[in-house]
Amino acid sequence: MQMSSNVKLRYFSQVVALCCLLLVVVMVPGTAQESVASPGQDVDRLKRATVFITQVESENLTTTCIGTGTLVSYDGLILTNAHHSVLSDSCPGDILFVSLTLTVGEAPVPKYRAEVVQSDIGLDLALLRITQDFDGRILERDSLPILPFVTLASELSVGIDDTVTMIGYPDIGNSPLNSPRGTLTSFVAERSGGDQSWLKVLTAGAESIPGTMSGGGVFSRDGELVGVLTSAPTPSGTSSTDCAIIEDSNVDGFINNNDRCVPLGGFISVARSVEFARPLVQAAALDLQVTSLTTPSFNVQTQGTPSISTPFFAPAVVNNQPTTVLRSAPAGTDSLFLFFDYRNMTPETVYEVRVTVDGIPNEALSLPPVRWSGGTNGLWYIGSAGQTRPNGRYEFRVFVDGELAMDAPAAIDVGGPALEQPQFANVTFGLLDQNGNLGGSGYVLPTGNTATARFIHRNMTPGQSWTSIWSFNGQRITASQVTSAWQDTGDINTTITNLQPAGGLQPGNYRLELFIDNSLSALGDFIVAGAQVGPLARVFTNIEFRRAESLTAEPNQTPGTNFPDGAHTLYAYFDWEQIEAGTLWTVQWSVDNQVFYRQTAPWSAPQSGSDFTMQLTAPGGLPDGTYKLELLINDILLTENEVSIGIGQLPIDRFNQSEGVRVRGQIVDVETNQGIEGVAFLVISELFSLEDFTWAENQLYALAITDREGYFEVDRPLEFDAPYSVLVEVDGYLPLGVDGFEISRARLAEEGGNPLELRIELTHD
Amino acid sequence: MILNNPSPGRPLTLTQRWSTLFTVLLAIGMFGLGLVLRAQITGAVAEYEDTRIGIRLTYPEKWLQDTNSGDYVFRVRDMTRAGFKTTIQISVQPVSSLTTERNVADQLARSRVLTLQDYRVLSISQSTLRDIPIEIVRYTYNDQSTSPFLQSFSTVVEGQDILTIQRGQAIIISFRAAADSFEDEYPVFDAFLSDLEF
Repeated sequence: MQMSSNVKLRYFSQVVALCCLLLVVVMVPGTAQESVASPGQDVDRLKRATVFITQVESENLTTTCIGTGTLVSYDGLILTNAHHSVLSDSCPGDILFVSLTLTVGEAPVPKYRAEVVQSDIGLDLALLRITQDFDGRILERDSLPILPFVTLASELSVGIDDTVTMIGYPDIGNSPLNSPRGTLTSFVAERSGGDQSWLKVLTAGAESIPGTMSGGGVFSRDGELVGVLTSAPTPSGTSSTDCAIIEDSNVDGFINNNDRCVPLGGFISVARSVEFARPLVQAAALDLQVTSLTTPSFNVQTQGTPSISTPFFAPAVVNNQPTTVLRSAPAGTDSLFLFFDYRNMTPETVYEVRVTVDGIPNEALSLPPVRWSGGTNGLWYIGSAGQTRPNGRYEFRVFVDGELAMDAPAAIDVGGPALEQPQFANVTFGLLDQNGNLGGSGYVLPTGNTATARFIHRNMTPGQSWTSIWSFNGQRITASQVTSAWQDTGDINTTITNLQPAGGLQPGNYRLELFIDNSLSALGDFIVAGAQVGPLARVFTNIEFRRAESLTAEPNQTPGTNFPDGAHTLYAYFDWEQIEAGTLWTVQWSVDNQVFYRQTAPWSAPQSGSDFTMQLTAPGGLPDGTYKLELLINDILLTENEVSIGIGQLPIDRFNQSEGVRVRGQIVDVETNQGIEGVAFLVISELFSLEDFTWAENQLYALAITDREGYFEVDRPLEFDAPYSVLVEVDGYLPLGVDGFEISRARLAEEGGNPLELRIELTHD
Repeated sequence: MILNNPSPGRPLTLTQRWSTLFTVLLAIGMFGLGLVLRAQITGAVAEYEDTRIGIRLTYPEKWLQDTNSGDYVFRVRDMTRAGFKTTIQISVQPVSSLTTERNVADQLARSRVLTLQDYRVLSISQSTLRDIPIEIVRYTYNDQSTSPFLQSFSTVVEGQDILTIQRGQAIIISFRAAADSFEDEYPVFDAFLSDLEF
């Protein structure tokens, strides 16, 4: 490719002169900002990146569900809740309309249609991508304007009592955005994600956050997205406060109780941590899709109604296991967790925990109705850590699908001095070596003859009665029950107990319960799977990768760990041994150490086999990068392997920048003061001056075209302190241009913050 | 410039006559030079060559050029034009040995109707471009490619595609302009085609 030398601009000198004479850049204060906006928080940008989502049934175009979402990429990725966007019994619509706040302070305007590209029903998160114009016309990826978006916090950077801003739509689309500021009052720990699974939020004036804001963003003082407001409507919640009849959905000419009631959800008090959304965003941004190609051999679907049982309290959690069982807690307790077993749960199950302290509802500890994210059966916990609780009697009531799921509330008294009571704690599992040391990964044991548990004991007195009982797949092994009198162990504060079932350890889920005087004192769960290799379990082996040229092409026969770019599809194969059907296992994919897929599911393939096949693909081809596949059980990494494609590193996306100076304004005729339509406002990259500009699009940093009133918005924020050049040239007017168009943070602050408003006057030639 | 005759009735001197003539000639010369300079500026062209695709062409100098898209191999737009930016673009797509220009035209119509608002084919005809058989497709659609945060009316765009199959690939040369200025702008496309080598 060659460019002729005469392409250079000839009017540099005249442009400079005209700049001095004609370019009138009038900095006017930006639109009214929140009077108490935090430094670094561009509320206007956050609002523009917040969208209203309407799920609609295509048959008669009636609304089925509504909610809020947040644009998290310039090319139309929207992070929101799954419960109001993903097709389900309660939300049966098949079209998603996206409305934007065109003018801050006004109701949203429908502009686009979107499709679900990633979702996790249990976590209640979904990623939508804008794919069509409002009228259904397909939008090619590069025909979509660069949209305002927000960045996800790189890590959960907020703490208790930090100020946050919540943004969402307060009703069914009639009102402008609501952006109350509030406080992060506490974190709620959950089995789904550890200590910071949920963010409890409270508005400054303690106003209620309406359910239609569900899916909206919670932003830190720096303007980063730290959480997704979440409140799942309960299936039985059909009261007028939980849903609204807004359209003649049955087309009978009347709007009455026979019409569909659009679920609105209850008031919101929690947000799902953005950490859960990061893999979905990463997968959606790269268009990556992971599919398991191995046909399930067993049906692991739920049978029966959801239920919970065996609730008890623990002061701490280690590897998702309770350290011990609490009967009471001393004053000053700052960590408290409710554990319980659950059965027959599904991702669409809605659960809720209501906590009272001395009979008074405690909002900080309670969890409003949210989707279930724990799979079908297992041991669950919810609670909080590092937050001192006042003395009192704490009662936890767990509701499932709107119904109380416990015969009696789980209760514990907090207060008084720490009691020196007999106690067992910290149960771990493994195999004993010849020296009597416990080896292994702790919670995944190989098939064999023996399982050994080691636990800590405190304040036991010789002769005290204690009992150990082992369970297999939820059934107690009667023969394993041992009740005996405690024997003095001297200075050693740990002891062991063994399980040696007849016929050896079969693959499956095991539990050890330890009782002192017939009261549960500790328990621990572990999984037996795989063959024995020393003290470890060999469960998954031989991960191999093969590439294919297309989705339908056969993969290459030769496996590899380094493929040239252009790979459309990647196949991963691995072998497995001795895994019981229903065992929860986790598959995790990452690229350049950024997780983009993590799913925990019940094992549904035969107990042993080879070439379990997974397919990783992207419609436009897999981007260069180093891909890693990790296989886990009980959060224990059992095997991993990685493969690099192309240069082994993700390409840099130069548009993926949300911080900076947002420029907008109006271009007018200097004589008539009327806006001029269709004028191009060219921002030339800081690498080129006006003289160097050869009218090549790759020399541009950004481009804006004026609307019918002469208004324009530069679609990308300008970087601070970068010396851009700006050119405005249109037939019939003298051209304007300037080098060194550079805005510092201080200058932007002086001008009232984002957006920076320009008024440009053009003179007829 | 004002010429005064200091004494009416008195004939001009030879020097005055030469001065007058020289002034008139200078004015005409400067006017002509201005026209030439203007034509050089407005008619200036830039050259472009892509040996990978096998095209060589010229295009109006101050049109914004782009080659970094998956949809086309070359595109120029007249950014100095108010309203819809008159556009010339070239795209290529692989075809089989049985594919005809007409097949390509039909396939284009089917895909564009999904992505362009109110897309209508006005006519399809056969012709030749420097003895190369071509298919000419004229069409119209409404352009709405503006920021959703701005208020713009859609523009009726008229377009013309020149389709030909060369070396196993369909070459699609497109010209698009606002419908009300299509004819005025068309000479630019004519000049583009006359210099185009592929």
